[in-house]
Amino acid sequence: MGLTGEEAARIRRLLGREPNETEWAIFDAEWSEHSSYKSSKGLLRRFPTKGKRVLLGPGYDAGVVDVGGGYAVTLHIESHNHPSAVDPYGGASTGIGGVLRDIISVGSRPIALVDVLRFGDPERSGHSKWLFRNVVRGIADYGNCVGVPTIAGDIEFDESFERNCLVDVACVGLARKGSVILGEARHPGDLLVLVGGSTGRDGVGGAAFASKSLAKGPESERKSVQVPDPFMKKLLIDAILEVAEAGLIRGMKDLGGGGLSTALSEVASKGGCGVDVELGRVQVREPGMGPTEVMTSESQERMLLLLDPKKAERVARTLDKYEVPHQVIGRVTGGNSMKLRWNGKVVVDLPAKAVAEAPLIPRKRGPAPRQARSPAMPKTPPLGESLLSLLSSPNISSRRWVYEQYDHEVGLRTVAKPGEADASVLRLPNGAGLAVKADGNSRHSSLDPRKGGAGCVAEACRNVAAVGGEPIAMVDHLQFGDPSDPEVYRQFVETVEGMAGYCEGVGLPVVGGKVSFYNEDVGSGRAIKPSPIAMVVGLIPALKKRASSSFSDGESVIAVGETRPELGGSEYFERVLGVVGGTVPAADPRADSRAYKAVAKLVRTGVAASAHDCSKGGFGVAVAEMCTRNSIGATIDLGLLPGGALSDPEALFSESHGRFLLSTRNPVRAKSALRRAGVPSAVVGKVGGSHLSFERGRKRVARVSVDSVTGSWEEPLGRLMG
Amino acid sequence: MEISLPVKSTFRVKVVISNRPGSGDPEGETIYRDLVSKSGFRDVKGIRTGKFLSVEVEAPDRESARKVVSRMCDELRIYNPAAHSLTVEA
Amino acid sequence: MAARVAVIRFPGSNCDMDAVQAIRTLKGARADLVWHEDKAVSDYDAVVVPGGFSFGDYLRAGAIAAKSPAMERIRKAADQGLPVLGICNGFQILIEAGLLPGALLRNSTLRFVCRWTALRVDSDSTSFTRRMRKGQVLHIPIAHNEGRYYAPKGDLARLSREGLVVLRYCDEDGVPSASANPTGTSDNIAAICNRAGNVMGLMPHPERGTEPLLSPSGSDDGALIFRSMLEAA
Repeated sequence: MGLTGEEAARIRRLLGREPNETEWAIFDAEWSEHSSYKSSKGLLRRFPTKGKRVLLGPGYDAGVVDVGGGYAVTLHIESHNHPSAVDPYGGASTGIGGVLRDIISVGSRPIALVDVLRFGDPERSGHSKWLFRNVVRGIADYGNCVGVPTIAGDIEFDESFERNCLVDVACVGLARKGSVILGEARHPGDLLVLVGGSTGRDGVGGAAFASKSLAKGPESERKSVQVPDPFMKKLLIDAILEVAEAGLIRGMKDLGGGGLSTALSEVASKGGCGVDVELGRVQVREPGMGPTEVMTSESQERMLLLLDPKKAERVARTLDKYEVPHQVIGRVTGGNSMKLRWNGKVVVDLPAKAVAEAPLIPRKRGPAPRQARSPAMPKTPPLGESLLSLLSSPNISSRRWVYEQYDHEVGLRTVAKPGEADASVLRLPNGAGLAVKADGNSRHSSLDPRKGGAGCVAEACRNVAAVGGEPIAMVDHLQFGDPSDPEVYRQFVETVEGMAGYCEGVGLPVVGGKVSFYNEDVGSGRAIKPSPIAMVVGLIPALKKRASSSFSDGESVIAVGETRPELGGSEYFERVLGVVGGTVPAADPRADSRAYKAVAKLVRTGVAASAHDCSKGGFGVAVAEMCTRNSIGATIDLGLLPGGALSDPEALFSESHGRFLLSTRNPVRAKSALRRAGVPSAVVGKVGGSHLSFERGRKRVARVSVDSVTGSWEEPLGRLMG
Repeated sequence: MEISLPVKSTFRVKVVISNRPGSGDPEGETIYRDLVSKSGFRDVKGIRTGKFLSVEVEAPDRESARKVVSRMCDELRIYNPAAHSLTVEA
Repeated sequence: MAARVAVIRFPGSNCDMDAVQAIRTLKGARADLVWHEDKAVSDYDAVVVPGGFSFGDYLRAGAIAAKSPAMERIRKAADQGLPVLGICNGFQILIEAGLLPGALLRNSTLRFVCRWTALRVDSDSTSFTRRMRKGQVLHIPIAHNEGRYYAPKGDLARLSREGLVVLRYCDEDGVPSASANPTGTSDNIAAICNRAGNVMGLMPHPERGTEPLLSPSGSDDGALIFRSMLEAA
């Protein structure tokens, strides 16, 4: 059991008696970090959560954002880190299953999946390759089968994830504005109906498992593997959306972490009602399961519906048509008690509010480490060679091996597809486009959590702007080690402050998020690098053209935003020079906002033929990537880059935020629009030829053939994964 | 001088990998529900699926053949003990 | 009068709505979703068996759907000469039901592949290609795990000889080269039809290629297949 002595004492005081076994198990699941956010809740209040488009913010199964024309999109993000580290295929699959349920449970149709993956170094570790291969296959098999396109993602490899990989899945849903369903029991007499797969012993105690570190040994791993069933999930989606769209559902809640115990206590406490449930009616998969196991099982593909009894018959008919099992397990009651029976006998009688509201744990925040001195720069290899080495880095090279395994087209909405532009773009039924991207940079975050936190939001916003989108909402996922470690908690606090400050600065509301603690190496007990993830969606008011991030012959190249000497945590420092440390890029929300607006407009109007943000690998890598698709070179003068005096490596590889590359046939118009918007920019070169050349005035800095660029960038991941 | 070579013969070892007992088996359940039970095979009461490997091994006897294959399955992660159960029959 | 198209929906179909949407945008077409247990198939002028994962692709892609009550009705429609189009999982189902010969095996890469492909039209006399000309190159995406067409050598030769291979994966110049073959499929086969030319199965998804906005090459080639079908219906 994961409850502390203090928590146990508090429970006894709350009840005025000793809880029985089932009741303890319920508290254990519900008061776990995973379900209760007891270490993070206070701090998360710093995120701005309001905005004119926000219909539903954090605290629900999904955030809901108005996208105009009577439509809303819903957003949710989750991780399935520990299960994926043990059973990568099943863990990743069930992670998708989980996030889909959240989107369905607010009554919206899932229209896109986004995956953020963090693994150990595949160039060195066979184990990480095994994990990665199977996680990608798990995501593919599940997402492809349920018919929800996987359209975007972000992948990072770093040895700190060797034994504790991160598998984050986000989902975007679509609903009619006004038809959103909440997981709240508000009407005494309503029926509680359990829908979907049967309840087994798989995943018993999973929420508590997710709140422990993997380091605690293999025994706990054993129980928590869940078996994915995408086919049942597809039937669930079809059946539930059919009854939801017909207005037959009063409330709905997915069964995820903590199973029935979390679902029941939350619908009751949120709606201010009670529940009376006969657990004997739950369809179990195995004989001999008792009430405790039924309550804490995390078997997949299950939902709880709250139905007006008058409409229950029609709902049952639709569920029968899809052959989705369903059982009435109880009723909503007045009062606030969570009463559970086992074959008639009351086995649990708890105040639902007490169960759902775990006490917060104050955590200690360690002191900020002394400012590290700038690392000594070793001798730098030739820059052309460094550029090719960066392009072949698993952190930068083409992601084709991954995204081709995902059906990213199903649904007829995917306009900008993975690999074509910085963010993927979905067509919405109101004629608008929705740009979607998730980002994070664990190296930046590890050196400077505050800047790293702000930076991941900035990067996602940039990617959205580069396809013409105006950022309208964000969900975040915060992944750290053990929060009782003051150093880990310091990282957490500074990350949240960095992210929240940036969101505030650019006016971006946070509509949902998750926190995952206890991510640490099994062997050493060392925490992962702090890994905040931001998924940002942006709106393209009238979607008429496909975004591109590829050069075409004869275009001019414009650099937008200032390059600063910020090589700390860069791919150049860590991969090429082997240096850890230095100045991490700082994001400036005010300057960035101006750039986002201006760039997005240039892209939408077609003045910019293509656009690409500068992030990992810096300006040099961004230019090279734009050469690959059409196999065309470019000549760039680094001396013209906006910003102060820079060394050649800084100009090429610094990862400063707020920067874009545009290609255009109308540089004068583009430049003047940027100038009017107060965004620093410069025409730095021209597209053409079979080589990519970087110069400084007349002096050549680096020159590589387009063939070598493409050759370095295209294949590494496929070759590594085989 | 007499040299006694250990006599080895070839054995065929059967390996079946299936989901751990007690955990679900969606594939088996679907084949049973949507194909078999709807087609009138009323006496069939359940189906579980798995993956089958037939392994050819040279060994002095049946039992050591089985042991080699068991070890191979463990060491090479031919199954994932967290998710699957394994039966090895020589 | 508008041609009426039945898009059959099995449990687990997931390209059914896409097919309906793509057909509805065409002139002179009406498309309805028809649940696999419904008897309504006979009221239609053409049948589409859409893509997806019917019954989760458990056992073998298409194997369980092939035993569904819908199949008998589809078979009857095919016998009467109505156009019957199987897309991706629909192709797998038509093969499992014996309406088309051969088998569809796992891709040689052992991976699912989602990619835009170029396809050469090798027969323009079917109900689905009559608005094309032989040798024309189409751009339509694929997305599948089990799309490697297989038939014994003699049967393959016969299919080619009799003009029953309708589409082949090719490069931009229309050459069905090995490098243009995404799945290791025999003879670069992407689509085949029956002798009468009214039943066709194809692995690519024409419903994903009917609008220039969705196509990297800006084409609407997928619509040609549906327009041909509507004309034949």
